[in-house]
Amino acid sequence: MTGYFAKVFDHTWAIMKGMWITLKYMLRPSVTVHYPTEKLVPFEKFRGALLFDAETCISCNLCVKACPSTCIQLENATNPQTGKKIAKVDWYTIDYGKCNFCRLCEEACPTKPKSVWHSLDYEVLFFSRDEMVRCWKAGTPFTGKYWDRKEKAFKDPLGQISIQDVPARR
Amino acid sequence: MTASGSEPSQTPLASAAPAPKPAAKPAAKPAAKPLPEPVFNQRAGRLIRDTRYWPTELWKDPWASQSYRRGAAWLAGIILGIFATGWAVGELAPWGDRIYEAIVSFVSARGWPAVVGEAIWIVIKALIVLHVILINGLWAIWWERKISAHIQSRVGPTYAGGFHGWAQTILDGIKLLLKEDVTPTAADKWVHALAPAIVVVPVIIAFAPVSFGVELSAANLDVGVLYIFALAGISVIGIVMAGWASGNKYSLLGGLRASAQLVSYELPRAFSVVPVLMFAGSLNLQIIAQAQSGYWWGVVPRWFLFYPVVGQVAFAIFLIASIAETNRTPFDIPEAESELVSGFHTEYSGMKWSIFFLAEYGYVLLASFLLAAFFLGGGAAPLPWLSAIPSWIWMLSKALFMMFVFLWVRWTFPRFRADQLMDFNWKFLLPWSFANIALAGAYLLWI
Amino acid sequence: MSNDTALAAQEPKTLKTDTLFVNLGPQHPSTHGVLRVGLTIDGEMITKAVPDIGYLHRGTQKLAEVRGYHHCVVLTDRWDYVSAMPNNLVFCLAAEKLMGLKVPPRADALRVVMCELNRLASHLLFFGTYGIDIGAFTPFLYAFREREMILDLFEMVCGARLTYNYIRLGGVMVDVTPEWLAKTKEFLDYFKPRLDEYDTLLSFNPIFMARTQEVGLISAEKAVNWGLSGPNLRGSGVNYDVRKNDPYSGYEHYDFDVPLGKTGSCWDRYYCRVQEMRQSVRILEQALAMLPHGEVSATGVAKVPKPPSGESYAHVEGSRGDLGIFLVSDGQASPYRMHVKAPSFLNLAILQEILVGNKVSDVIAILGSVDIVLGEVDR
Repeated sequence: MTGYFAKVFDHTWAIMKGMWITLKYMLRPSVTVHYPTEKLVPFEKFRGALLFDAETCISCNLCVKACPSTCIQLENATNPQTGKKIAKVDWYTIDYGKCNFCRLCEEACPTKPKSVWHSLDYEVLFFSRDEMVRCWKAGTPFTGKYWDRKEKAFKDPLGQISIQDVPARR
Repeated sequence: MTASGSEPSQTPLASAAPAPKPAAKPAAKPAAKPLPEPVFNQRAGRLIRDTRYWPTELWKDPWASQSYRRGAAWLAGIILGIFATGWAVGELAPWGDRIYEAIVSFVSARGWPAVVGEAIWIVIKALIVLHVILINGLWAIWWERKISAHIQSRVGPTYAGGFHGWAQTILDGIKLLLKEDVTPTAADKWVHALAPAIVVVPVIIAFAPVSFGVELSAANLDVGVLYIFALAGISVIGIVMAGWASGNKYSLLGGLRASAQLVSYELPRAFSVVPVLMFAGSLNLQIIAQAQSGYWWGVVPRWFLFYPVVGQVAFAIFLIASIAETNRTPFDIPEAESELVSGFHTEYSGMKWSIFFLAEYGYVLLASFLLAAFFLGGGAAPLPWLSAIPSWIWMLSKALFMMFVFLWVRWTFPRFRADQLMDFNWKFLLPWSFANIALAGAYLLWI
Repeated sequence: MSNDTALAAQEPKTLKTDTLFVNLGPQHPSTHGVLRVGLTIDGEMITKAVPDIGYLHRGTQKLAEVRGYHHCVVLTDRWDYVSAMPNNLVFCLAAEKLMGLKVPPRADALRVVMCELNRLASHLLFFGTYGIDIGAFTPFLYAFREREMILDLFEMVCGARLTYNYIRLGGVMVDVTPEWLAKTKEFLDYFKPRLDEYDTLLSFNPIFMARTQEVGLISAEKAVNWGLSGPNLRGSGVNYDVRKNDPYSGYEHYDFDVPLGKTGSCWDRYYCRVQEMRQSVRILEQALAMLPHGEVSATGVAKVPKPPSGESYAHVEGSRGDLGIFLVSDGQASPYRMHVKAPSFLNLAILQEILVGNKVSDVIAILGSVDIVLGEVDR
């Protein structure tokens, strides 16, 4: 009989303690970040959407080899006089649909600063499949352009919201 | 939506014109500036928070944060404001009498039969009670969201309406009204459509004898308690109908569970109130509330909750059985989101679905008012020197506090299993409610 | 058909009862991914349960045969996506065995730190979702609040929150900073009292104990026969932990206990994980205190490694059990064959036996307590 009452008391006590914990947290400030109006800046090493700088690229193909999902392709520029390949990139594409965000390309890049690197942009969305394939030529902005197959023109991607004005770059 | 990276260039890529130079060349790594408050980022058009706060930082000194202080001030202000309003308005019953007299004099001035005045008065009272339930739905869902959010270290709705998302439920209601009302192919159409009505109608009419304060109830029934329990039992038929008519296996299981659970928990719920009825000597809610007025030694209110042993046991059993009756979390096995995907209302959408919710919150409010009337002294002030504040404010605050207890329990505990639920009812609650009646009899005999 | 009607005619003319076939999943809130369990129920009792997998098959084992060794590490992230560090580690251990690489001590210690942090994150996810399975919603949010901090730590050190690609052949991706170490210590100090609160809130809640303590019993013999591993095996009282029995990455230097269950019930499996979180905190504190200095990556890791022909097997104690990997090399740049011994896959198999005879509510409790990740089951 005492065991029965002890059990009832124990269970009631355990339930009370649980309710005390929830009450305690109710009175504490919440940890929410109000996402669409407040955005976090990721940590410096964050692997966001890839950016590319055609000016510094030496067209060495190391990133192409490093990529585990073969989402990078590039073409060497040629010297218009001699027709020989030079250490400049003619065009460069990254298929974001395949990208693993693994930083192997950035690590492989031999230039300083890196020619291909992860920005902090985590808000990347694609309004069409065409937008997933970004391409760069000399003078293209870091975020690249995409080829719109319907309108047969290069266009600026709309769905990438940059978190910082100057992308983190090592 | 802003353009990305650097400025959107107007020149086509293929053209030879020098494209806009990409922003600052090898740009040194930007120094991470710790920003205490979010700043407005012109470029993104948004607030950007540069540092993420861990709970370790947030909870170190909550009063240091402005928003926390503001929230506490709002809360205190609202509570004080309600009490001040109540104090200014005074008792509601005389106001009702005045309106009634105005109607009667209006009717007699026109030479209409007196029954017309009575009918108008009844319609007004019925509409007020109906709106108590409808507004309660709006308020209770918002409160449930906010309380559950804060219990879980979240904030809940914040945007709709401006002040802590107060308009969220209204907007949700509009959304539900506009939603397509789907009836599954496998459903029994008539029963499927009738079930929500059968669930919600009893709760609306059960509110008739509920006292909202001293002398403040739609119908002063002498069998009030019996009437409420009798009507509340009808809703289970609607739930079983909903489960059966949906043509869904999960719903069927939910309906079966609901029938067993609700019928069982009626018993301890009714028996736990018997000691109250014995002490008060009446089934009338007004008289039960009046029986608890006054104070022991001038400080401890003579609420039934404070009767040694018998009061607390009855209160606990009635609270537990009420939670079970309203299908809320420790006892939400008919819904059981993680098992039955919502149980009996899986196949309902739009307004039919929201009617189930209206009924659920209606029952929560009903149970809260009953708890306040049976155990917390109805409209009596907890301390003698607070009696300047009218009874309806006390009744309302007690009921809302009990509603908070309902939410608090819901967001703390896991769910029973169907058979454990039955065990708990038949082997624990029911015997103890009988024992409690015997104890109350002993009190009445010898004390 | 005619047989059935003949049988029906023979039956006595009473109320006709029948079993009910219920599809639990693949779109059910409690199957933790895309598992489908075909349940035959009689009232609320399960008479037959058939787990059906394959909804998340991505073919990583086959894919590895055309990818380089560095690239395979990226693939491993996708098996058990809630604890990717042990996946990275087990592949690297197997490949390093093939290549004969020597991992520097600091890299080893960092691997242990990351794996234990990830075990915490994974067990927190289990804790939270198990609470939801049983019907308690609040522990889920509490667990995620803490898990978020661990993911922040991972983001700080390697830039990703889920698919880390941090542990690399011959070492780790990058060294940690003193700030990171300070943050981790801060987290551990914050986390220890939280564990006691979890115990109060869920582990020793009478309703929770009643729901889980006598449900889904797996005897030690049955657990071994079905090839269970990890907390599911230890919940049945079998003392087997790869970290103790076959230490790797210097686990032999750390002082920790292996929590064991008694009866093999859902609660034992659950509580094993909660206790493991305590042990992980212990390991982490030791590892952070005695973190050696030096390099974090072995020298001489080829850009395109071509290990000599041969085969190797490595296994680690992943968050869900004994995670093993079998690599065969034929001297080419990509593995000839990669086979994953995924603990979730083996743990899942026992469901068809232990679900039978339980109630529908218990199915959810048992399914949750086995803690499968469908990414690892299907690979």
